[in-house]
Amino acid sequence: MWKGIVEWLEVRIGLKDFLREQFTEYRVPPDINIFYTLGIVAFFAYIIQAVTGFFLLLYYIPHSEHAFQSVQHIMTEVPYGWLIRLMHVVGSNLMVAVVFLHLISVFIMNSYKKPRELTWVVGGLLLLTTLTFCLSGYLLPWSQLSFWATTIVTNLPTAFPYLGDWLAYLLKGSEQVSGTTLNRFFALHVAFLPPILVTLFGLHLFLVRRIGISRPPFSKNYPPPSSWTQYRHEEYPEGIPFYPSFFIKEMYMVVLYMVIMFFVITFMPTLFLPEEASIPADPYTTPLHIKPEWYFLAPYQMLKLIPNKFLGISIQLVLLFIFLFWPFFDTSDERDIRKRPLLLTVFFLTIGVWIILTIWGKYS
Amino acid sequence: MQRRGFLKLLAAFFTSILSGSFLYSFLRYLAPPSKSSEASKIIVAKAEVAEGQAKEIIINNTPAIVINRPGKGYIVLSRVCTHLGCLVKYEPDRSRLFCPCHAGVYNLDGKVISGPPPKPLPKFPFRVEGENIVIG
Repeated sequence: MWKGIVEWLEVRIGLKDFLREQFTEYRVPPDINIFYTLGIVAFFAYIIQAVTGFFLLLYYIPHSEHAFQSVQHIMTEVPYGWLIRLMHVVGSNLMVAVVFLHLISVFIMNSYKKPRELTWVVGGLLLLTTLTFCLSGYLLPWSQLSFWATTIVTNLPTAFPYLGDWLAYLLKGSEQVSGTTLNRFFALHVAFLPPILVTLFGLHLFLVRRIGISRPPFSKNYPPPSSWTQYRHEEYPEGIPFYPSFFIKEMYMVVLYMVIMFFVITFMPTLFLPEEASIPADPYTTPLHIKPEWYFLAPYQMLKLIPNKFLGISIQLVLLFIFLFWPFFDTSDERDIRKRPLLLTVFFLTIGVWIILTIWGKYS
Repeated sequence: MQRRGFLKLLAAFFTSILSGSFLYSFLRYLAPPSKSSEASKIIVAKAEVAEGQAKEIIINNTPAIVINRPGKGYIVLSRVCTHLGCLVKYEPDRSRLFCPCHAGVYNLDGKVISGPPPKPLPKFPFRVEGENIVIG
């Protein structure tokens, strides 16, 4: 029967030709390294979030009077509900970690350089969409943690004069975070953001395949920097086949991702669910030890340190702009970061400051 | 002006009017008018707020606090931190109001002592009538 289906498709869409062109005859750079697999791991992480999110929707009630109870119901009464929810919670954190790692590896290999500036920008937008997913999903359990974290985030626009208050109101749909806010964050999480993510992902993948995978700049055979004056597809006739050679590496990494996820679920189930995540939202009591998720700790600590609200948020927006359009700031042809001490210093300094702020934010 | 140019201008004008109307409707839909809470009065017995003590209340949906400041009398302040909207906590032993989210610190007059809050805590009007404090 399987053979019959393949033949049926072969006659209509030329399946074998397509698979040969896209997988077995498609060659990736011969000196490709394990960090090139992080993109597909991130994609896999998104799929897990989509599937577990769909299952959670079957029992979750997006109403301020029922949301917390429905999440408790999923965790304690629905068969294997705890597993689905923990996969979603742990998965969201691991997904952000994988996207960060992917970004760092692309930065170290300077793969964002001409002609791949757009790929970087779309990747940056994918990261922002992912973080918006995390933020909007954070409110849905309607716990103390989610309520107050959302209060902080939705008040960020108030730093800006004139339009700030109106924008904050637009986000919340009311003066304070309320059931209306829950409804719009729910809509954002399950209906508005998914098509944006799919579109950006499609564009990202299109750019990667259209331009060709960039070659790591560290090997001895790496060609000297050249100027890119007209479009060409970067090909590697001497490279290794995408399938099965590179595909197997990608699958190893996907399995490793699952191992880490289930290790956390089994041995550290409360790692991403502090005490405040188990207390229903109380709009009249801010918990004493409210902290954002680990990936927002650095900006959180920065906001605490800068004694001016407008300045604090403006600096973060400027840094975000520089990050998103970094390829247009770094115009050097040299891609080997070891030959660029200034860039190397900027990189380590940024990572160092980020880690210090994160640890400081966690324990301050 | 050429007829073609005039028609282009006219089309652009009507398209912007049309898009503007849709945009305005969508924005209004996203930001509905706030439900105006009825101006209410809260009565707190003086006995409930001894000197150096405070009582948390809710007035017009806003969390607030009545503080009996040692040597300075009563004050009614909003508990909503002017930084990013968390609720401040009264710390009697340190005579201050503290925001747990970004460590904003206010004195008992509601003025910012340290941290990122840009403005003092708003005050609510009140009067003392016999044994009661009438707020609002």
